[in-house]
Amino acid sequence: MRKPSNIVYGVNDVPPLGVTVLSGVQHVGIIAASLVYPLLYTREAGLPAQASVDVLSLAMLVLGLSAILQALPRGAVGSHYLCPPIVTAAYLPATLLAVKTGGMALAFGMTLFAGFAEVLLSRVLRPLRPYFPPEISGFVVVMVGVAVGSVGLRNILGVNTAEAFSGLNVAVAAVTLATMVVLSVWTTGPPRFFCALIGMVVGYGMAGALGIIKAADLITVESAPLVHLPAVANLGWSFDVAIVIPFIVAALASTIRTIGDVTTSQKLNDADWSRPDMRSVSGGVLANGLSNITAGIIGTVAVSTATSGVGTAAATGVLSRQVAYVIGATFFVLAFFPKASAVLLIMPGAVIGAALLFSASFIFVNGIQIIASRMLDARRTFVIGLSFLVGLASDLYPAFLAEVPAEMFPFLSSSLILGSISALLLNAVFRIGVRKEQLLVVDRAAASPEKIEEFIETQGAAWGARKDVIDRAKFNLTQSIETIVDGCSPQGPLEIRASFDEFNLDVRVSYTGAPLELPEKRPTNEEIMESEEGQRRLAGFMLRRHADRVRATHNAGRSTILFHFDH
Amino acid sequence: MDLREESDGGVTIVEVTGRIDSTSAPALQERLNSVMAAPQARVLLDLGKLDYISSAGFRILLLAAKRADAAGSRFVLCGVSGKVRQLFDLGGFLDLFTIVGSRDEGIAAST
Repeated sequence: MRKPSNIVYGVNDVPPLGVTVLSGVQHVGIIAASLVYPLLYTREAGLPAQASVDVLSLAMLVLGLSAILQALPRGAVGSHYLCPPIVTAAYLPATLLAVKTGGMALAFGMTLFAGFAEVLLSRVLRPLRPYFPPEISGFVVVMVGVAVGSVGLRNILGVNTAEAFSGLNVAVAAVTLATMVVLSVWTTGPPRFFCALIGMVVGYGMAGALGIIKAADLITVESAPLVHLPAVANLGWSFDVAIVIPFIVAALASTIRTIGDVTTSQKLNDADWSRPDMRSVSGGVLANGLSNITAGIIGTVAVSTATSGVGTAAATGVLSRQVAYVIGATFFVLAFFPKASAVLLIMPGAVIGAALLFSASFIFVNGIQIIASRMLDARRTFVIGLSFLVGLASDLYPAFLAEVPAEMFPFLSSSLILGSISALLLNAVFRIGVRKEQLLVVDRAAASPEKIEEFIETQGAAWGARKDVIDRAKFNLTQSIETIVDGCSPQGPLEIRASFDEFNLDVRVSYTGAPLELPEKRPTNEEIMESEEGQRRLAGFMLRRHADRVRATHNAGRSTILFHFDH
Repeated sequence: MDLREESDGGVTIVEVTGRIDSTSAPALQERLNSVMAAPQARVLLDLGKLDYISSAGFRILLLAAKRADAAGSRFVLCGVSGKVRQLFDLGGFLDLFTIVGSRDEGIAAST
C-alpha cells in the first residue's frame, strides 16, 4: 500500500496527539448532525423528553462502538480503515414506517432484524460480487453525495425544516462553507486538518452574533443534566412481518453504501489501488451489522458508515485509525454527559448545511471516480444513467409519492433507495445474455491488430472489466499474434478465446504451428539486435512479464498459450 | 504508422504517430538510417503520439542507439509516457536510452 501524495496521515500512521484529538472532535461535530434522525423518530413516537434523551445517548454509544469496530487493525470484524459512522438516512423511511405502525418497540425490533440481515449479507458478499460491481458501489456513493448535499441545501435554505428561509442563515452558511473550503484548498498542516471544525466554530460564532442561536437553545444546554446514565432496553421490542421488506431494502442500501465507503477508504489510502479488497469490505459490512444488532438490543436506531465522514477525512488528509478511536471515546463520554451533547444538538441549520455541502462535494466526486474505474458499455451506461434519473425523481417530484400505494412508499421515498434498487435490478437484468467466454478467429494473412484490440475492448466493456487489465490483455494479444505470425509459421487460422468471471480474465491463443518461446530471462541487447530470433525472445519475455500467469502447451502440432490476468 | 520530420536548431526531429510493430518497423528503420547518415547527427525521436510499440520496434530503437554511439551522434527520445512508458519499463528499456520529457528538453539534450 503506497500512500498518495495528498494524504498526510494514512490509516496506519500515528499523527501527533493534538492532530488526532482535534480531528476526532471534528468528525464528532459532523456526525452529530445525524442525531437529528433519532430526535425525529422519538418526536414521531411521542416519547417523553427523558426517554428521547435515552434513545439519543444510546445512539451515541452505538456510534462510538461502530467507529472503533470499523477501524480495528486486524480480525474478521471491521474494514480496518477510518470509516466514521453516522445515524443513517438509509433507514429513515423504514424506521419512520415502523414508528408509525408499532412505535419505538417495533423500530428497535426491526433494527435488530436488519442488523442480522447485514451480518448475513457480509458473509455472502464475495459470491454476490457480480451483482455489486464497483460501478454500482460508485453509483451508490454518488447518490449518497446527492442525498447529503440535498439535506445540506434544505438546511441552508429552510426547505422542509423547522426554520424558514432567512438571508441571515444563507450568510452564515456561506461564511462557514467558505472558511472550510479556503482552509482545505489553500492551507497546509493544522488549518487544513481542522478546516471543517474551524468552519463550524466560525459558523457557531456568527450564528450567535446574529441571534440565530436563540435564548431557548441556550436554555436547552443549561437545563440538560451534566451527567446521566441512559436507561437501556426499557421500551421493549416487537416484530411485524409486514415491514420486513422495507428493512431488508434499508439493510441492502446501507450495505451498498458501506461497500462504497470502504472502497473509497481503500482507494484514498493506496495510490496503487486497483480493485476493492473484499475481505475488508465484508468486515466493514459485518461491523455495521453488529453495531445495528447492538442498537436494536439496547434500544436505539440504526447506524452505518458515513460517506460524509470519509469525505471529510479525504479533505483534511488525516486518515489515521487513531482518529476513529478518538471518535469512539468522545461518543462514549458524550453519551453520559447530556450537557455537552446539547451543545452539538443546538447546531444551527446553516452550519449543519454548510458542513454537509462540504462533505458532499468529496463524496460525489469519489463516487464518479469509482464508476470511472470500470469500462462501461451501453448496458452499464443504462444501469447508471437510468438509475440516477429514476432516483432523482423522488427528490424532484415528491408530489408523485402521494399517488403511490402506501406499501410502495418505503421503496420510493428516498432517491438513495430508489436509485439503488433500480441499479441492482437493471444490473441483474442486463447480465442476461452477456457471454462469459467469447471466441475470435483470426486469419493469419489478415491479422489486423485493430480488429484484435476492438474484440477485447468490446468484451471488456460488456463484462465491466477494469480498463488497466484490458489494456494489458490487449498488448499480450497483439504482441503474441504478431510474433506467432512472423516466427511460428502458423497453418490455418488462429483462435482467440477470452473468458471473464469478475476475479479472472483468461485469454487463450491457439494455432497449428511451432510453439512460442516465453523465456523467463530477458535476452541481451546484442541478442535482440543480432537477429529476429532475439526480437521474438524479447516478445516472449515481455508477454510473460505482462501477464499474472502464462502457460504454453504444444500437443500434436497444436500450440496454445494461456495468459491469465488477476481482476 | 505516420512519420513526420522537421529540423530545429540543427536537431532532426522525427515524430512517430500510431503503432510500431513488425509491419511498420522497417519504415522507421529506413527513416532513422537516413537521418543518422550525416556525421555527428543529432536526432530526437518524439514518441508523444505513439499508441503501441512491439518487440520489433524496440529492436529498431536499439539498433539506432548503437549506430549513434558508434558514429558519435546523439539519439534522444521524448514524449515517452502512459502505456508506451509501461512497455519500455516492461522490456527493461527505460535506462537504455536517453529519455527526456518534452520536445524542448529533447532539443536541449541533443545539442
